[in-house]
Amino acid sequence: MWMKKRYLLRTPDGEHRAVVARQGDQLAVQLDDGALRDVDAVVVHNGRALSLRIGNRVHLVHLSVAGPRGEVTATLLGRPLELTVLDELHALALGAAGATAGSGVVAAEIPGLVIEIRVREGQTVKRGEPIVVLEAMKMQNELAAPCDGVVASVTAQAGRTVNAGDTLVVITPSAG
Amino acid sequence: MTVAGRLPFDKVLVANRGEIAVRLIRGLRELGLHTVAVYSEVDRTAAHVLLAHEAYPIGPAPAAESYLRGERLIEVARRAGAGAIHPGYGFLSENAGFARACEEAGLVFIGPRPDTIELMGNKLAARRRMRASGVPVIPGTDEAVRDADTAGRAAAEIGYPVLLKAAAGGGGKGMRVVRDPADLAAALRQTMGEAKSAFGDDSVFVERYVEDPKHIEVQVLGDGEGRALHLFERECSVQRRHQKLIEESPSPSLTPALRAAICATAVRTAESVAYRGAGTVEFVLSPAGEFFFLEMNTRLQVEHPVTEMVTGVDLVRAQLDVAGGRGLRLRQAEITQRGWAIEFRICAENPRRNFAPAIGEITALMEPAGPGVRVDSGIAEGCRVPIHYDPLLAKLIVWGEDRPRALARARRALEEYILHGPIHNIPFHLWALDQPSFRDGTYTTRFIEACFDPATFAPPLAPDDQEALLAAGALFEAARRMAGTLAGGPDYVAGAPGRESALTNWRRAALRRMTGRD
Repeated sequence: MWMKKRYLLRTPDGEHRAVVARQGDQLAVQLDDGALRDVDAVVVHNGRALSLRIGNRVHLVHLSVAGPRGEVTATLLGRPLELTVLDELHALALGAAGATAGSGVVAAEIPGLVIEIRVREGQTVKRGEPIVVLEAMKMQNELAAPCDGVVASVTAQAGRTVNAGDTLVVITPSAG
Repeated sequence: MTVAGRLPFDKVLVANRGEIAVRLIRGLRELGLHTVAVYSEVDRTAAHVLLAHEAYPIGPAPAAESYLRGERLIEVARRAGAGAIHPGYGFLSENAGFARACEEAGLVFIGPRPDTIELMGNKLAARRRMRASGVPVIPGTDEAVRDADTAGRAAAEIGYPVLLKAAAGGGGKGMRVVRDPADLAAALRQTMGEAKSAFGDDSVFVERYVEDPKHIEVQVLGDGEGRALHLFERECSVQRRHQKLIEESPSPSLTPALRAAICATAVRTAESVAYRGAGTVEFVLSPAGEFFFLEMNTRLQVEHPVTEMVTGVDLVRAQLDVAGGRGLRLRQAEITQRGWAIEFRICAENPRRNFAPAIGEITALMEPAGPGVRVDSGIAEGCRVPIHYDPLLAKLIVWGEDRPRALARARRALEEYILHGPIHNIPFHLWALDQPSFRDGTYTTRFIEACFDPATFAPPLAPDDQEALLAAGALFEAARRMAGTLAGGPDYVAGAPGRESALTNWRRAALRRMTGRD
């Protein structure tokens, strides 16, 4: 009898559902509404990669833990994928709390100096619009709005240094 | 017998870090020379330190307190008994004061004479000198403009659009394009202000702005006594904010006649200043096929491997020959271009987020190999990319018999590259390889600005590859969770950096159990 476990895979481009199923010797994976496919998965490179045989194809995927909450970096053919793997209970809980992939928080990814803030509270912004200019690693970098919306609050101040993870600007995403 | 026996020094201090320090140490070791590395507090386990014969700490992480402290570097060289210093690129490589201080301390500075560095470091002085030598320069003022009226007259004569440029600037800083005469006064004020605060010198000059140019540069070698030769050109038009990302040699844009003219001009430039050592003369190639001297870089450049792969000349060795008094060991007629080389700068930058720099521990690294593949790397698995220095981690250089084969090899090598930890720009390079204007060689310095969209650029995977990638992610996490809950297993500390190896065996065991392979 198949033992199945469901997961939610969150990537920068969206979400996918995955079902990992096992029955004795056999392993199978189903993604989204696709078919349940037999998989032969072997750990190689001293635990760093999986060689997957699906159908007639073999695929070599390198994997590393990228964070403590199911964050994984997976690379295939030079394309790194930053994904977060959540088991279905966790995913349901997140859904109920209303967390969305399109969060409007603009935070500093690394420590730096705030050079310029290009928006004000109440201003409508579009996804991709430059919001804050930070200086780090000898260069100036523009951080862009992650979604369409309205600026809810500006906590950054020009001329002040910030640490990684510091919230700079919060945007209320617009509906739809 | 090694070359070392014929040089006036047997020990060289490498005043740099990262991939170039590794490249230099390798080259110096091959010549039989003793190598001295220097390291800041965050670089004790950096690749260049591990490879050197001797290593000395030089200060806290910030460059200004370590790699830029010239007097400390000279003191370390003396203490180590080094007879020469190689400055690499960046840092103090184009600091005339440092070059002078080395010479005054009795050390050989592997590079040009201090006065050459000074001349070429001042863009206005360099332009004047080049114009006087008959080298075509971009139409522009030879003196700084101090007020809007002077600037306005100059701009009217040159013709709009014009570029306001800081004389002491470089790397694309302190530049502003003005298309409308009405904007000139304000633009001049802003540029002068920026120049003053960034370089301590508010001299700004006005230059014709060449729209949509290609960036062509020529590698030169000079013996310091008036003779120079060229090692052909490189095209470096894939740039973002004047930072190069992809370079190639030959340039797909030059006819043989144009190539001969540009290379001859570069030689004339080097000979006019009796250039000593390795240098690069940079040109702007306009859409109409006119070329103009832009500036001369008086150092070994990041992209030098591309020239090495195509000409077969080891530029570090050539630098050591000149610095050691052995002169140029080559004749121009012996230098030819064979095949095609392309370099991709592998940087800790996130192309999705406007190339924002990234840091972090490198949790997995596998560099590509195979025929025609060269990786100049400053990183290793387990090392941390610090925030204090620029984000260049490594360079991938491929060589092919012709451009199409080099492009195919580039794709193959990039697809083999594994780098986990800090976000990197390999997907950008895969994207560039797919773009029509890059494939046919017509790309200009506006390539990224015109074609790259961070939201949609991600290089696609075939459906079954995409499926495998996601499936692997799910299986990996599933196995990890099982490992954590196995009775008698170690405490499950999910994914803390550095704990990876503790989970490895458990993950393996879990997957074996999952696939029934016990």
